[in-house]
Formats: sequence, C-alpha cells, structure tokens
Amino acid sequence: MKVQVKQWNGVASWLWVANDDNCGICRMSFNGCCPDCKVPGDDCPLVWGQCSHCFHMHCILKWLNSQQVQQQCPMCRQEWKFKE
Amino acid sequence: MEEELMESDSVEMSGSGTRSGPPPLSSLLCKVDPGSCGSERRVSESLSALRASGLGRHLGPWLLSTLQMRLATAVAPEFWAGLDQPENDLEERDRARVLLLAFHTLLEKLEPFIGGLEMLGRWQEEGRCGLTGPGTRALRDRAFTIIRARLLFSPPAVLQRRVLEFYSRTFSVHMSQEGQAGDAGAEDGGPDDGGACPGCVAPVGRCWCQEALGQLQELSGILSRLQLLEPVSSEAVTSIMHTLLEQRMEQHCRGEYERSFLLDFQEWLELVLGWLARVFASTEEGVGTPQVTTPARGASGQAPGSLLQQWRRHMHQFFCRVYVNMRIEELFSIIRDFPESKPAIEDLKFCLERTNQRQQLLTSLKSAFESRLLHPGVHTSDILTVYISAIKALRDLDPSMVILQVACQPIRKYLRTREDTVRQIVAGLTGDAEGCIDLANELSRADPVTLEMQDSEDEGSDPEDWLPDPTDAVKDKTGSKRRSSDIISLLVSIYGSKEIFIDEYRTVLAHRLLHQLNYNTAREIRNVELLKLRFGESHMHYCEVMLKDVADSRRINANIREEESRQGAGPGGEEEQQTPPPPPLALSAMIFSSEFWPQLKEEKLELPPLVSQAMEAYTHRYEKLKAMRTLSWKPHLGSVTLDVELEDRVLTNLTVSPIHAAIILHFQDKSSWSLEELSARLGVSKETVHRKLALWQQHGVLREEAGGQYSVLETGSSRERLERSILLLDSDEEGDSNTATQSEQREEKLQLFWAYIQAMLTNLECMTLERIHSMLRMFVATGPVVTEMDVNELEAFLQRKVREHQLMVSLGVYRLPKAN
Repeated sequence: MKVQVKQWNGVASWLWVANDDNCGICRMSFNGCCPDCKVPGDDCPLVWGQCSHCFHMHCILKWLNSQQVQQQCPMCRQEWKFKE
Repeated sequence: MEEELMESDSVEMSGSGTRSGPPPLSSLLCKVDPGSCGSERRVSESLSALRASGLGRHLGPWLLSTLQMRLATAVAPEFWAGLDQPENDLEERDRARVLLLAFHTLLEKLEPFIGGLEMLGRWQEEGRCGLTGPGTRALRDRAFTIIRARLLFSPPAVLQRRVLEFYSRTFSVHMSQEGQAGDAGAEDGGPDDGGACPGCVAPVGRCWCQEALGQLQELSGILSRLQLLEPVSSEAVTSIMHTLLEQRMEQHCRGEYERSFLLDFQEWLELVLGWLARVFASTEEGVGTPQVTTPARGASGQAPGSLLQQWRRHMHQFFCRVYVNMRIEELFSIIRDFPESKPAIEDLKFCLERTNQRQQLLTSLKSAFESRLLHPGVHTSDILTVYISAIKALRDLDPSMVILQVACQPIRKYLRTREDTVRQIVAGLTGDAEGCIDLANELSRADPVTLEMQDSEDEGSDPEDWLPDPTDAVKDKTGSKRRSSDIISLLVSIYGSKEIFIDEYRTVLAHRLLHQLNYNTAREIRNVELLKLRFGESHMHYCEVMLKDVADSRRINANIREEESRQGAGPGGEEEQQTPPPPPLALSAMIFSSEFWPQLKEEKLELPPLVSQAMEAYTHRYEKLKAMRTLSWKPHLGSVTLDVELEDRVLTNLTVSPIHAAIILHFQDKSSWSLEELSARLGVSKETVHRKLALWQQHGVLREEAGGQYSVLETGSSRERLERSILLLDSDEEGDSNTATQSEQREEKLQLFWAYIQAMLTNLECMTLERIHSMLRMFVATGPVVTEMDVNELEAFLQRKVREHQLMVSLGVYRLPKAN
C-alpha cells in the first residue's frame, strides 16, 4: 500500500516568544493586543527593552511619553532602551 | 271603495261579535248594529245613539275585548287546528299549502276587527259623531299586541317547524334561482337525484318553485298585515341563516387558508339578503332588490332602523363571529403554514376587528402552542420555525404586536429551557439550518435604517396615528414603543442578551473556518457584516479578527510556499538523484490568534515524522517571516487530502481528518498493527483509535483480524466489500466539533468566577449574593468570555460550593470557611 498525501491543511496558533504571558502595563495578554488596538499580531507588536522586559509597543510608548524626567522600564526601573 | 267595503264588513263582524260580548254593552250594540249594516250613515247614527247613552268612550275598549275573546275562543284554536294536521300524510308541498291556508283563515277572521278598529280610530281622530279616543295608531297597536299575545304567547312547536320548513324551501328555491343551486341546496342534503329541480327537489315535472315563491310572498303579505312577521319568522329565518352559514363555512373554509373568503361570503350574503328581502318584502319598500354595496358600507350608508338593514348587520356580524371562531380553532395550523395562509390571516384580521374575541383567540392560541408545540417531542428547530411564522403571521394580524407578545410568551419561556436553542438560532442566522432559511433571509434583509426607525419610533410617526394599546396588552415598563416585531431581535431577546448569540456565532464561525480550510470567507464576511448591523461593531470584533486571521494565513502560506519552491530544488535533489525525490509534504496552515478564537479542544496526537518534520520546517519559516513569533500546532485539527494506492485499486482524493491520515500513514510502513501499538504511537486512547479505524475499515483498506490486529487489505474481494458496507461510521465522527462544548466552556468560566469570588471573600470576609453578583459583573465584564450570568445561576453555583464545603452561608451572607 502506498499513501500519497496531496495536501495537509494544518491548524496552528501563533504566539509571541516572550518570557511572560501578559503585558506588564495593560495586563492584557501578549497574544492579544493592547487596549487601544483591535487587531493583534502585526498591528500591535511587542517590543523588548535591554532589560529583557517586553511590552506591547503601544503601551510602552505611551508610558515613555508620560515620563518627563527619565525614561525607565516600568518593571525594573532601569533606564529604558529598546533592544536592537 | 275598498275602505267602504271593509268598514261595512267590520261592522257586521263586530256586530256578530257582540253576541258573545258582555251583556250590558252587547245588548246596546245589538240594537244599533243590525241597522247600521251596509251604510256609513247608519253606523254614525248608531254611534250618535251610543254617545247619547254616554257609552261612546267604551266603544274602543269594547271592540278590543271582543277581539280578545274571539281570538281566545274561536280564531286561535281554529288556526292551530288548521295547522296541526297529521304531518306524515302530507307532502311538503301540501304542508306549505296548509300553512298558507291557516294564515289566510287567520287573516280573514281578524281582518274585520282590524278594519273596524281602524275606522273607529279614524273617526275618533276626526272627532266624528263626537267620538274621542286614543286614535288609529294606538288602537291598532293595542289590537296587534292582543293578537300577538293571544296567538304566540306559547305557540305549539308545529308552527315553528312548519315555518322553518317552508322558509328553508323557499330559501333554497330562491338560491337556486339565483344560480347558487349547489351550495344553497345543502340544507336538504341534496345530492341531486337525476332530474330533480335544484330548488324544490321535486321531479322536474312537478316543480313547485314558482308556487313556493308565490306562497312566500302571500305569507309575507299576511304576516306583515297582521304585524306578525317578526315574531313568526325571525326565529326561523335566524336559525336557517345560522345553520347555512355555519355549514357553508365548514364546507368551504375549514382547512383552506390560501384563499380569502370575505368577498365570497359577501356575495353569498347578498344573495341571502335577496331572499330576506322577499320574506320581509311587504314591510320594506324599495329594498326588494339585492344591493351591491358591501354590508359594512351599506349598513352605515342607509336609513337606520330598516328591518333589512338590521338583518344585514346581524348576518354580517354573525358571519364574522363564526369565521373568527373557526379560525381561532385553526390558528395554529394557519400560523404553521404562514406565508401561504396569509389570506386567512387577513380575513381573520378583518373579522376580529368586528367581534370581541381577542381574549378567546389569545387563550386558545396559547393552549394550542402548549399542547402542540412545546413538548419534548418537537425538535427545537421546528419550534423556532413555528415561532418565526407566528411572528410573521401575528404581526400581520395585530399591528400593535400585543397578540404576538402575549401569545408567544410560552414559546419564549420554553425555548429558554432548551439547550440547543442558541445553536439553532445561530445556525438559522448563518443559513446552516436545514429547513429554516427564514432567518438568513431576515438577516440579509436588515437595513440599518429600519432598525433605527424602530428605536426612534415616537419621532418617526405622526401623533395623529397614535393608537392606544389594546386592553389586553401586557403592562410592562417597556411599553408599546419597544414592542418589536423584528424577528431577529425577538429571537435574540429570548435570552435577554445578545452576548450568548455572538458567542455561539463565534463558535460556529470557528468550526466552519477550521473545517473548510480553503480560505474562502466571502460568505462569512458577509454574515459578519450583517451581524454587525444588528449587534453593533464592538460585539463582532472578535469575529472580524478571526476572519482577518484567515486572510493573513492565506498570505503567509503563499509566502512560505514561494520560499519553499525557491529553496526546495536544492536539498531535494541532493538526497537521491536516481529515483524521483519523495514529494515534500504539501503543508499549508491556518494560523489563528488564540486570544480571539473560542477555546479549541485540546487533544494530543503524535503525527508521523514526515508530517511533524514538515510542520517544524513550516514553523521555522514562519519564525523567519515574523520576528519573535512562533507557531503552536494543533495536530488534531485540520484536514488532509490523500490518495491510497492498493494493489488492485486506488482511492483518490479522500479528505480525512489528521488522525485518520496519521493512522493510514503508519500502515504504509507496516501492514499490520495492533490497537495497543497504534494507540501508543499516536498518543491517543485506544477507544479513539478504534473509532477512527472504522473509517478505513469502511473504505475497505483495513481489516480487523483476531486479537485486535488490524491489517491492510491489498486486494478487495466482493465478499468483504459486502461485509464492510455493514460497518457504519461512528456517527459522532462528522459532528465532531473542534471547539469545546458550551457546557465545558461554562464550567471553565465558573471556575474563573470562583477564583474571583474566593479573592473577594478573602478581602471582604462576607458578602451577600447580590453584592457578589454586582462585583463579578464589574470585574469580569471584560474579555471574550460571556459574562452573562444571572443571579439565579450564580446562586446555584454558590450553593454547589456550599455543598462541597468550600463556602459557608448564613442568613444570606456568604463567607469562606475558617479552616481555609
């Protein structure tokens, strides 16, 4: 007997490779999106800081904009720098 | 001339009457009367003589009492005797003659009195011979009252019987002459025996139709002369009319909903009124011909009080009542057949407005629903279909929607108790339900403008058009303004919230997207857009993301395919140059955003290395494409198209689930497996494997051998084919849902609530049920999980926890047990 698979339609869910489930700022799931967005994934990406904490991009930008003096990671209070 | 004659007659008669009168008066009049015979002068002389003796004012009463006496002693008994001849000896025709004859005699006997009274009255009015008295009218009225009283106070049944028979006959004669023989003759149960006249059912040669009509006219003349028409004939006429109407209704309308009967019956009623005009001909001048106006208009347009008009109104009213009664009985069937039975609904509406039977209709319809629809034997989709028909039909019947609201209350209540109601409604909305396309049509019909209009009804409509609610309206806070007739809103409002429906729709959508896997979402996009109009954009957000996932997956697939084909040539060629390389597994993926899809059932399945390697490669490419993102495969989901080549046959383009494919792929490496081995290899329970093997057994590819061993059937014989046709696919195979069942989801949700409740109780020590409920609503009201949970449900949940000793309750206050 020979079985020839012509087409295999698989099902998968995508997920961010992050060390946490939820965004530390909005507490929403990384795999979801920030409260301002409607569509997850490309439209609401994650960003990582050099301190290795990551957030929804929109969330951390909002946070950084609200900081007058020094821009710190809201989790570890180190100076926030985007990880390259 | 005639008057003169009658006068002389009357005096003679009254003279003869005196003989039996009271002695003092009669003796006086005896002297006068014989002389007065024949000439008015003599009479007036006699009257003067009477007046001279001071008896002038007694003349009227005397005449009346004489009349009464004569009636009692001679006329009435004679009349009854004339009428009451042995019936069986006579033919109908003769009976009619006898009836007429009796009335003739009656008239003959009474005429002189009436004439005399009229003359006396006239003289009194003229003041002739110095007579005074109440006048013609009063005297006549009194005389007729006496006649009616004496004659009809307790008439023997024979009169009614004869009159009824005679009227029935003339009625059928009339109707047959009006060309309605077929239906009018029904009274006599007339299957037309050959050659019989349709009117009188006598053989053609002896037809007495004309005679009967003549007799009718004569009888009517006599009766109206004696002012007996109403008392004698109305009962008979009424009963004939009613019987015929009911019969006709029964024959023509029962069970027939697709035709309007109003006009038919109006025409028929006009014919009947033509007959009535004959019956009452002599009292009614100028209405002898049937009118063409409709009864409703005719009634208001003509002089009130006329007898025929009264009859017309009566018949019309009676028709309405009978019709409504019949339709009320049949309303359930009418509703069931609705779009076809629209004429019946319209007729009923017309008639219902004229009778006071709404309450009866409501009660009957409600009980019909309860006894015929709302029991476990009826499929939910059927209940929904009937409910939708009911909405449509009752909306036509009663634009105020009150009947709809009240009568369908039991349906809504009942549907709430059915578990699959939501599923059925959603299936209907998306056009998946078998028989029920109404909802899908309804959904696509929806234009937001009309929906808006319903919300702001008070501004849209003219205040002049406002109608108060019918008295049977349910008094609730929503009021008539919010009484909706929109089918979808009504269905959705069964549960009081749309979240449940949206959630169910999401489940259905997920199921569908995962099953078809051809990325063709045109229909779903349309549905979502339509639902958005109904439920609002925000509620359908999750569904939109799901559809977007499908579109994205398609793009990503195309991307990865392209990359594969660019690189594929290299490594494929290296391995084996001689034989053609094994074609790489054509893998495509549906990649979804887990947060936005309903929870999918987690199942374990170890795929054959060929597949899992392909998946790894795919993941790898995906990771390259989307930085920092990876894929988590759901191995048990999806579909596989494959060919199975056996020695003597090829099965092409089979589409199976991944587990089926995995099983058959394993058999490719080794032609015989035991259940245990397969189960271990696939990481799936033996029961499941056994169930899934059935598919291949059915296809005749595998065969179960002794000892739980399965092996490939390389050559299929006809005998085995026969055998395998008996094997049936496990029925739950097709219906296998990828999404967790509702109750499972519900359970999970409750567990989520439990975490909240525990936390709240830890902080606040103790809380009442209401408090817990409102707190939960506040905290848990976000996210895709439906948080619709009413207080009762919560209470049941908490009670369960109390029983499990995880919670304590006293005086309605919940707290956590101390030991915790």
